[in-house]
Amino acid sequence: MDTPTRKKWDFSAAFYDLLAWGPERRWAPRKRELFANMHGKVLFVAVGTGQDIPFFPPGQDITAIDISPRMLAKARGRAARYDGSLELREMDVHALEFPDHSFDQVVTSCTFCSVPDPVAGLIALRRVLKPGGDLYMFEHTGSRVFPFNLMLDVMTPIWKPIGPEMNRDTVSNVKKAGFEIRQVNNVYLDVVKTIAASAPVQEKKSTG
Amino acid sequence: MERRLYFLAGDMLSNAVMGAFAAWLAAALVDPTWSMPAGMFAGMLAGMGVGLLLMPVFVGLFGAMEVMLPVMLTAMLAGMVFGMAGAMLAPVLPMLLLGGGAIGILVLLLTYAVDAVLHGRGA
Repeated sequence: MDTPTRKKWDFSAAFYDLLAWGPERRWAPRKRELFANMHGKVLFVAVGTGQDIPFFPPGQDITAIDISPRMLAKARGRAARYDGSLELREMDVHALEFPDHSFDQVVTSCTFCSVPDPVAGLIALRRVLKPGGDLYMFEHTGSRVFPFNLMLDVMTPIWKPIGPEMNRDTVSNVKKAGFEIRQVNNVYLDVVKTIAASAPVQEKKSTG
Repeated sequence: MERRLYFLAGDMLSNAVMGAFAAWLAAALVDPTWSMPAGMFAGMLAGMGVGLLLMPVFVGLFGAMEVMLPVMLTAMLAGMVFGMAGAMLAPVLPMLLLGGGAIGILVLLLTYAVDAVLHGRGA
């Protein structure tokens, strides 16, 4: 278990909902649109305080993980109100306790700005995803456009101790982890985006 | 691009207030005995400092990156401009509030324009 990361998010759990009130409402339509793709057995990574749960389509079979027990404690009320099967588990994305090829889909929401080793985390997700399975991500990343790239670089070391990194190249990280990118859509500038990718089908052939 | 009135009004309010506040702070910090580059630099730091302090309030109310990026740019620019102005003359309060607010709205409009170009594109 990555203890420093768990401690950071346990600390942030106290004020997370306060800071996330505006962002979650602003992003709600785009998140609902992305999460509408959920089907089959779904792994949702970094559920936090469960702010995304109201955007899940009803009737799904979802396992949601988070590294922070304090975040998960806050998520339980929202999880209980979900109209479907939703299991919350405390888990580090770098050390997933699921067998290979357990899930049809993996969904993330503002997750890979914070995972300490994003490529290793994405490789771990690829392992538990069925070959050809879907990866859907709603993420904020760095920018290639001046002066936004400068501001994100300046703010990253200030925010990192209590929150996310703001200048990550998540699309490249997804490719490095061996996923096949299907679609990337900018939601705000080139900073907030949705990513749709697939686990390679070749793995299906090699594992029979 | 954002079309909901609550968030559009929030964007304008955040940037105008931040611009006015950063301008006032920069001008209060710098006086005409300073050189212009020193005034500009001090104003930039003061603007970014106040930006970091006030930003969580605006983020919590109106959005994350959509608020954070223009608001921080506004704080930096308004601080620079009025830090430089403070090194040349003693700006009066209405000039600081209106000028800083105008910088905020201008930054916001430029950000909307860049967003309109990039929106929906892949990376």
